[in-house]
Amino acid sequence: MSSPAPDPVFKSARREAIVVLLIWASALVYTIGFCYQFGYHRPVEQIGFILGFPDWVFWGILAPWAVCTLLSGWFAFGFMRDEDLGADGQAEDAAEETGEVQR
Amino acid sequence: MTDGANAATGAGVGTLAALLVFIAASVWLGTLAQRAVEKGSFLKGYFLGNRGLGAWALALTATVQSGGTFMGFPSYVYSYGWVVALWIAAYMVVPLTGFGVLGKRLAQLSRRMGAITVPDMFRARFESPAAGLMASLLILFFMSFMMVAQFKAGAIVMQVSWPGSGALTLDEAGPTGGDYYYRLGLAIFALTVVGYTLIGGFLAAVWTDLFQSVMMLIGVMILLPLTLLAAGGLPAASRNLAREVAVQPPVEGDATRLENSLPVEARMRALDAALRQYAARNEGGLPDDLDGFVSGGIAYYGRGSAIDPPGSTRRTLLALTAKEADGWQTALYSNGVIRSGKLGPPGELLTGPGPAGFHPLGMAFSFFFVWVFAGMGSPAGMVRVMACKDTRTIRRSIFLLACYNMLIYISLIVICICGRTLLPDLQKSDEIIPRLALMSTGDLWGGSFIGGLILAAPFGAVMATVSSYLVVIASGLVRDVYQRFINPAASETTIRWLSYFFMVLVGTIAVVACLWPPDYLQSVVVFSGTCGAATFVVPALMAVYWRRATAAGAMAAMGAGVAAVLSLYSVSWLQGQFKTYPLFGIDPIVWGLAASLIVGIIASLASQPPSRQLVSKLFDAPSPGR
Repeated sequence: MSSPAPDPVFKSARREAIVVLLIWASALVYTIGFCYQFGYHRPVEQIGFILGFPDWVFWGILAPWAVCTLLSGWFAFGFMRDEDLGADGQAEDAAEETGEVQR
Repeated sequence: MTDGANAATGAGVGTLAALLVFIAASVWLGTLAQRAVEKGSFLKGYFLGNRGLGAWALALTATVQSGGTFMGFPSYVYSYGWVVALWIAAYMVVPLTGFGVLGKRLAQLSRRMGAITVPDMFRARFESPAAGLMASLLILFFMSFMMVAQFKAGAIVMQVSWPGSGALTLDEAGPTGGDYYYRLGLAIFALTVVGYTLIGGFLAAVWTDLFQSVMMLIGVMILLPLTLLAAGGLPAASRNLAREVAVQPPVEGDATRLENSLPVEARMRALDAALRQYAARNEGGLPDDLDGFVSGGIAYYGRGSAIDPPGSTRRTLLALTAKEADGWQTALYSNGVIRSGKLGPPGELLTGPGPAGFHPLGMAFSFFFVWVFAGMGSPAGMVRVMACKDTRTIRRSIFLLACYNMLIYISLIVICICGRTLLPDLQKSDEIIPRLALMSTGDLWGGSFIGGLILAAPFGAVMATVSSYLVVIASGLVRDVYQRFINPAASETTIRWLSYFFMVLVGTIAVVACLWPPDYLQSVVVFSGTCGAATFVVPALMAVYWRRATAAGAMAAMGAGVAAVLSLYSVSWLQGQFKTYPLFGIDPIVWGLAASLIVGIIASLASQPPSRQLVSKLFDAPSPGR
């Protein structure tokens, strides 16, 4: 038998994990970069306010937070695939009877 | 505002009532959970809720941090200002990382292998009882620390909410094991939590957790408009913050140093009197400069401001002396308050890294790892993902949690920023939420009870954390140690009674340890989370995504991660403190994760590849015949 196809859940989960880690890395780079550039060691007179938030907090934290929340919505309802997680049961009940996990 | 003593008593009655509501609701949820658990087999029901968690339960309980962390956050915003928004900012991706990286595969593999606990998973995935045992022992080790710390926190909340006990909130330094109220609080706390967890197992822990998360959100949503209104809106509060100076927390020797400041303070008091006289003659307005008031050496910030009556909580900075050789300064505010100490420059609360260099760049970087991976690597969290009903639940949880995090964290930041200008002179910054709750709900109908509910939220968080850890520890002892290594053929009745026995035992040990309570509560909580992340994140990733991963690799990854974290902590421990030691400015969690990753990969490649049969079973599509 030639090598069988990879498990579909494995494939989709890996694809989704990579996308999530990319989002995490982008959020890290943008948020820290922006806040460090515009929020650190800056004379207080130069700081503007947007809706009462210091400008660097608004654009460096609030804005990406809103984007991430929208991305979470897209990920949950437009990207992540529903899949059958498989049956539970046999292996476990057997294990409970005998104390052994199916091998 | 009422005076301090009345406020404290009011807090006691309101909080006590609210605590009783929490306790009653938790016990009720425990009995409900018991009924749900009785349906399936004992182990799967009691320790995994028959894999039936819905979206709300999964979203709001699997990654939300422990009570300890949640209690520290408002205090940080109060003390360090806007930079704490960056400290917590990684929560913007926690819903995605918490469920989107490991969730689906963990849920699938744990089903395929019949795993009930995290060590169960490792053992079956790597076909190695040793890997399972190592995971169990490490979990027991970290969680024991955490349990004792949480029991202490729970006891303190009970203690301070007792009417007439005088205190208002959690104070790590104040209460000690000798205090009568502390022991009483500890007893009630322990009986309640161990009681309902024992009745309902995993589901009781999850449902009470869900309950407290929702209560917390309700409390914050009530508090938000009230504080915004009191502060005159966020723009006003933020502008006011620009005129605040942060005082570094007092250290030993300050009392003597404070005496040396008395002449300077007397000079400031004279200036205050002179400015008040000027204001009385000029319709409350202040002079444009201090010419003719003082001989110099004082920076003036009062231009365009107004004087406030003495004792008023509203104030702006008026004058600041020049820094002395040891960094001390004295500040005068418009309400007549004079503060001496190591002061930051005005406006420090609006910028990074914050007062006293609170959040330097390296730590900002590190906290994107801390929140993300401590959530992902927590065994209690992983078990909940394993227990979810289906992938639809995971998807909906991601979005629910994203909305919840954004609502609660941003609101809390805004609340505490307003709090800083409403109550600028708190001696204990931990008291900010309780004080605000009392102040802003005092005039409302049923205000004391609403205030009490807000105060009770941390108590609920602590209860939820303890009960979920009780379940993880008991399941570890029963499933991963007793059933695997001592008596594999144990009957269900034996397993059931042994589970109860271990829960009571763990609870008793924690109570005894809390009679001599540990210091550094917050540090212990962070330590435990850091260890969990450094130990389990990499092996879990290897287990679910890497065909070539081996038992040796997983064990080496666990060992390297925990060794890196422990050795960095022991550096600061040798220096006499139990706290994180940021090597090159980077938190131990990053070093631990890096060590775990590198060692895990090398050790896997250096050891015998896993059997093809096993890998195929876990990574290939099931053949139609099966």
